[in-house]
Amino acid sequence: MNQKIKAALVGFAFCGATSLATAQRDYQSYDQLTARLQKLSSKYSKLSTLTTVGKTATGKEIWLLTLGRDNAVNKPAIVIAAGVEGTQLATTELAVQMAEQMLQAAVLQDSVRELLQSKTFYIFPNLMPDASEQYHEKLRWERSANAQPIDDDRDGRMFEDPFEDLNKDGLITMMRVKNPTGLYRPAKEDPRIMVKADVSKGEKGEYLLYTEGIDNDRDGKWNEDPEGGVVFNRNFTFDYPYFQEGAGEHPISERETKAFADFMYDARNVYAVFVLGPANTLSQPLAYDKGKASKRIINGLLEKDAAVNDQISKLYNNTTQLKNAPKAAPSSGDVLQWAYFHYGRFSYSTPGWWTPKVSAPKDTVNGKAAVAPSEHEDVNFIRWAEANEVVGAFVDWKRFKHPDFPDQEVEIGGFAPYVRQTPPVRLLAPVAQKHFEFFSAYAKWMPSLQIVNITSEKVAGGLTRITADVLNQGSLPTHSEIGDKSRWVQKVKVTLKLENDQKLVSGNKIQLSNALGAGEKFQVTWLVNGKGYVTVEASSPTAGSQSKGVNLR
Amino acid sequence: MKKRFFPVALVASLLAFCGVQTSRAQTPEQVFRAAGTPHNPKVSVSWNRYYDYAGITQICQQLAKAHPDLVKLETIGDSYEGRRLWVLTVSDFKTGDPLRKPAMYIDGNIHSNEIQGAEFALYTVWYLAENFQDNRFIKELLQQKTFYIIPTINPDARDNFMHKPNNAHSPRSGMMPLDDDGDGLVDEDQPDDLNKDGHITFMRRKSPNGRYILDPQNPLRLIPAKPDQPGTYELLGYEGLDNDGDGKVNEDPIGYYDPNRDWGWNWQPDYIQRGAFKYPFSLPENRAVKDFVLRHPNIAGAQSYHNNGGMILRGPGAEEDQNTYNRDDNQVYDLLGKYAEQVIPGYTYMVVYRDLYSAFGGELDWFHGARGIFTFTNELMSPYLQFDRKTASGQEREAEQYDFNKMLLFNDAFVEWEPFDHPTYGMVEIGGFKKNYPRAHPGFLLEEDAHRNMAFTVYQTYQLPQLEIREVQTRKLSNGLTEVTATIANNRIIPTHSSQDLKYKIERPDYVSLKDQSIVAGLVMENADLNLGKEQKQNPSRLEIPNIPGMGYVKVRWIVLANKPDLTIEVDSRKGGVVTQKF
Repeated sequence: MNQKIKAALVGFAFCGATSLATAQRDYQSYDQLTARLQKLSSKYSKLSTLTTVGKTATGKEIWLLTLGRDNAVNKPAIVIAAGVEGTQLATTELAVQMAEQMLQAAVLQDSVRELLQSKTFYIFPNLMPDASEQYHEKLRWERSANAQPIDDDRDGRMFEDPFEDLNKDGLITMMRVKNPTGLYRPAKEDPRIMVKADVSKGEKGEYLLYTEGIDNDRDGKWNEDPEGGVVFNRNFTFDYPYFQEGAGEHPISERETKAFADFMYDARNVYAVFVLGPANTLSQPLAYDKGKASKRIINGLLEKDAAVNDQISKLYNNTTQLKNAPKAAPSSGDVLQWAYFHYGRFSYSTPGWWTPKVSAPKDTVNGKAAVAPSEHEDVNFIRWAEANEVVGAFVDWKRFKHPDFPDQEVEIGGFAPYVRQTPPVRLLAPVAQKHFEFFSAYAKWMPSLQIVNITSEKVAGGLTRITADVLNQGSLPTHSEIGDKSRWVQKVKVTLKLENDQKLVSGNKIQLSNALGAGEKFQVTWLVNGKGYVTVEASSPTAGSQSKGVNLR
Repeated sequence: MKKRFFPVALVASLLAFCGVQTSRAQTPEQVFRAAGTPHNPKVSVSWNRYYDYAGITQICQQLAKAHPDLVKLETIGDSYEGRRLWVLTVSDFKTGDPLRKPAMYIDGNIHSNEIQGAEFALYTVWYLAENFQDNRFIKELLQQKTFYIIPTINPDARDNFMHKPNNAHSPRSGMMPLDDDGDGLVDEDQPDDLNKDGHITFMRRKSPNGRYILDPQNPLRLIPAKPDQPGTYELLGYEGLDNDGDGKVNEDPIGYYDPNRDWGWNWQPDYIQRGAFKYPFSLPENRAVKDFVLRHPNIAGAQSYHNNGGMILRGPGAEEDQNTYNRDDNQVYDLLGKYAEQVIPGYTYMVVYRDLYSAFGGELDWFHGARGIFTFTNELMSPYLQFDRKTASGQEREAEQYDFNKMLLFNDAFVEWEPFDHPTYGMVEIGGFKKNYPRAHPGFLLEEDAHRNMAFTVYQTYQLPQLEIREVQTRKLSNGLTEVTATIANNRIIPTHSSQDLKYKIERPDYVSLKDQSIVAGLVMENADLNLGKEQKQNPSRLEIPNIPGMGYVKVRWIVLANKPDLTIEVDSRKGGVVTQKF
């Protein structure tokens, strides 16, 4: 296939996409995203609401888009949290596209309308707008921290060693310095890509590698204290990385993290949290580790919750058919682990998009043979980027006379900032669609409390014995096993409601049950004195509620 | 004449009630000074009783008004129910910015039932201010150091403790309503003051099924029946009803969360550390204190008063945190702790996780772990203060309380048993110790113990870094260069950076600057005699010193292109203060 036809086909398939020349800036700024969310929520005003949970240091709103018909706070909810890492702009785009698809579908399809009637989706499209905005600034560098000033290297000087755009291309890329003490060498498959030299295999380092800039404070480190900030995904309480860069002074120290956590603790109805972020626990589930799960400070999934992670991972892989996901473990202070270990909810994470495997070209007209994937992720990425005509992904290395290295050969170049996490937006629609399908399937599996086998039987002396089974008809537990330990997760609650002249003789008015697994039941029984009608209500903020009445005998 | 009466008139104009007296039975001329006590204070406070939030506020305001050059009153934020949290800055304001002097932080009453910390803290302010003129030691201390004192960091529940029915242990929490029993309802089954006496005491019932009998020595007291002896009473717990009809009595009281499990060091959630709230500093009072501490990097020592048991506690709070307290820091703690044992008889210097219990997210852990501040918690009111006996078993201790109540308080601390017709239990008796005993000091012990504990905090403050430019030497080199070597000493036992601070670079380095304009090079010396040093290439006129150790020194050296360099030297340390001297 020649290039022209290929380009035409791409253009045809994604006719809505902007021209390729501007594709590299096609992610939305805070203002654009705000306008898009406002438009969306007013267009679907009966199905969605746009609110804010707080403001950032620069006064940007932390938007929350709620999907669901009426009374959203009283329905079991799924949280989708995106933009937790600042550089992952694609997660924000995915979250919003998914919301758009869901709302569109709700107008057309009964099943989706029903879904939004029984469940609530809390979507946080961008939890760190101050960080992601750097993508749109005049000088583009990969900023993962918010705009709360912090002394990254804790030396008493703030922002004393920022980046400098030495080659004046508006991008902060890398500098490589030819030096025999360097740890890096050009990759064999592509000499533009710098990889670590493996000394144990007899390889020799040839280059020192730094980010682009000057050592302003002459401490032998380049750009170690730029502007910023605390990273949302490093500021949570579980395994908090004290004194590490981007962690902040203490857990939940930031406007963004505090606003998010405060909302979450108030939202008793949150059943599960899905983070669109760096870790991936959906393509491959976290394994159960008895040692970790039974420590005083529990740091592994409890057994039943690990089984559910397994179940959800299968669902994810089956519905999305997304393959070749790189392994990405949870990290210290992240929101994913907080949501499970400290917030007590089921919690999962996926980057949503990752570099697809470059498939070998089917035609070998130009004499090209199939290329085996490289062991170096960056090599695979640039192959993919070039095959998909990602414009401006790489800045070719160019010589630069660097004042910090007067007699050495310095070149500036490398990947453009953000490029590895911002695929052309045109590629995201199908990914969003697959995740929408996954969430629809997931929501159908969610727990559902039913009262069954309710009976009233006459006992001597004007007493009636009432018995009922409270059954979880869903395919997932009513809440997590760890939730049973947490005061922030409401247990399944069964209440007997009596009239004034009725009297409870035996059994507690309110009965609580730990998590009910799929198909599990909880039997309740009371002895009541009196006449008339009584009501039994089973309820859980995460599994819904049902009431049934019965006559006293 | 006029001068003397002015402060009295001023005080009078402020007064509405409480222990600050408007009129005096004695004139200063009639008073003979008892050693160590201000005999003619501008603000008169009775230190044998307790003050509620309004009372504390008034004393704070009066102290600030009466001593404008020594005491400043500010607010650090609001409590959950909207009360101002007061901080008093105590220092000689005429001898420099309090923020640039090494500082001691003191608070009290984080647990709302542990009330006397507030009075102890206030006593400290009062004592320092009222003694400033007459006592050279205090005068010098306030010239060199600063105190930041927050009498109560839990004012909401302090007032609840005092004005609503409670027992000696309730509330320990703050006033935020929470669901404790998981039924979705908040604070729906609190204790009930059935006999309307303002105290939550105990319920007991005469019953052949009970395993208790009356103590023949003291009929107010129940003791367990011997294994082979029939009982006559059963204990039914604290005064209360099953308000929500769930078959449990008093199971969802005020709170419950523990403000001292809410701090941002090794914080753990409620299922691991009971009492933890949502996340570190999720309580507004603690968040305000945390912000205050971050805004005052000169704080180098701290004390957080609790009760009870007569302990001088240091961290770590949890066994998992042992490595946070290393040898160098522990040496400082040990020196201070031993001093405290001497000035407060009956108190024991202890480590929380090892000698008391294991707790995550405590205030002292955050102060030390996250801020590198040498911090103690004194558990006020020692059993030793009751009778002069140090070694009593738990059983004896309990009996001792009844004896003490009878012999020294003439039964004032006890609600005598009275019958009550209880809707669930039938005829019961209600009685027991009042909420002001035995955790809170009886009045006559309050001032003494406040003084002793204050003396310890004063000593800790005295031992905060005291920097001195001890010596400056010059030596001519060739080519018109001069070598300047300065010795900077710390004359106290607390270093400018604890080793926890050094390890994680919590506070910036100390700066030592030479004001001469022609500095060619600057070095921080490892050994000045052997000429071993490390050159600081960037900005050599202001050398950065990681730490000036306790009772130690550092040497710095400059090479200057001048025959007669300007030998003005400035030492600027966040926790060690600022010293400037021209040689």
